[in-house]
Amino acid sequence: MKIATTVGRVLLASLIIAFACGGLACHFHAFADEAMPRVELSTDNLGPREIEDLTSKSVPRDYALAWQTMEQAMDENRPGLLEGYWVGLAKQSLTQRVNSQIKSGLHTRYEDRGHKVEAIFYSPAGDVMQLRDRAQLDIQVLEGSKVIYEEPVTLEYMVLMTPGADRWLVREIQSTSGEKR
Amino acid sequence: MRLGLTIVAFAVCTLAAAGSEIHPPAEVTAGTAATMHTSGSGEATFYLLGPATASKRAVQAGADISVEGEELDHAGRYTAVICASDGCASANFTVNPAAPNRLSFLVHPSRVPIDSANRISAVAFVHDNFQNLVLKPEPVTFSILPKDGKPISAARNSENGVAWVRLSSAKKEGPTRLGASIGHANEVRVVQQVAADACNLRIKASRSKNDFLVETDPIRDCSGNSVPDGTVVSFTKIDDAGKTTVDVPIKRGVAKVEMPVEGRARITVASGVVTGNELEVAGGK
Repeated sequence: MKIATTVGRVLLASLIIAFACGGLACHFHAFADEAMPRVELSTDNLGPREIEDLTSKSVPRDYALAWQTMEQAMDENRPGLLEGYWVGLAKQSLTQRVNSQIKSGLHTRYEDRGHKVEAIFYSPAGDVMQLRDRAQLDIQVLEGSKVIYEEPVTLEYMVLMTPGADRWLVREIQSTSGEKR
Repeated sequence: MRLGLTIVAFAVCTLAAAGSEIHPPAEVTAGTAATMHTSGSGEATFYLLGPATASKRAVQAGADISVEGEELDHAGRYTAVICASDGCASANFTVNPAAPNRLSFLVHPSRVPIDSANRISAVAFVHDNFQNLVLKPEPVTFSILPKDGKPISAARNSENGVAWVRLSSAKKEGPTRLGASIGHANEVRVVQQVAADACNLRIKASRSKNDFLVETDPIRDCSGNSVPDGTVVSFTKIDDAGKTTVDVPIKRGVAKVEMPVEGRARITVASGVVTGNELEVAGGK
């Protein structure tokens, strides 16, 4: 009798966990698909290493996800969202920016209109890729609900990405020029 | 009369507020302070938005605003915003990297077979003191610093902050140091050059109590370099009981294993794609 009760409890717990995980997976999937920035990658001038098929798909996907999480982190002032796709100096700078926003009571909204990305350097060992990104963004900085700055811009970024265990991560990002659209 | 005063007051306020503007310098070098001129009058709020900052402070419109170097140490696009009672005005400016003075140096692989052409890749990323990538072309000096030999250097100009070279490993085993330098930065990495494949793999057997001790001669490659410890050597015994394989790592230059043998047996040795000699032994009481 006791064994039957225990087995019942274990089954019930497993079902609850399975539903919770399923729900969570659906949620993350939906989040990943929702408002994913458009990234077009060109590898025509890439060298010295040739890009692998899989890498040519995973780099734009992971770069788009990096931007998606960054835009959400900047809007909601949640530096934890930078954990997934940002590392090193890039993550450090963005975390500083988000913490600074929290301190000043600001938040930043991006309307991402797409990225034209050119891969310009892929190291011989395949451990780092450099990208030049031409991003079209509508940026809005708000203090509470009051807009203090807004501008549609085209910004150029120099980006370094390195491979992680199962994805490419943004290690450095530096804006090099910007102009009002 | 009252209406007239109201109009005058409104006109004065409008004139005062209409002038709220901010003028940062177009370009600033990372880590240096900057002064921004403003116009207008009255109390205002100044915001500085940059790659790693979103600060806010109260200022007086019409007075100059000083921004410390620490607030401008990340290269990139910044926006200065001033908000007064009449609204907000903004202006963008660029913070450029300072002089190159740091390197991130990646060398792959850390162990390389000897005498391999272009097997080592060395990539240097040029940074300033604030870890900004310096995008202007800068000469990076790569050096090979052998244990016993003359250093060899070559300069390469960075492109978009990256300089790289491909190098071949030496004919002799041992560590070699690879360096990259720019400004005051000098980074060194060590690459271990190891013998590639064993050559003339030979085993001998001797009795040890009831078993046979099978041992290799010192394992070297065809140039006489010792194959590194840890490389796996496989001993295979075929006797009446069947086939048995034992994998043994090289220790102090040799690999050895004790094998029980019943009746007649054949023992062979292999390491990677190289096979060695074959022994016929007879065991039993």
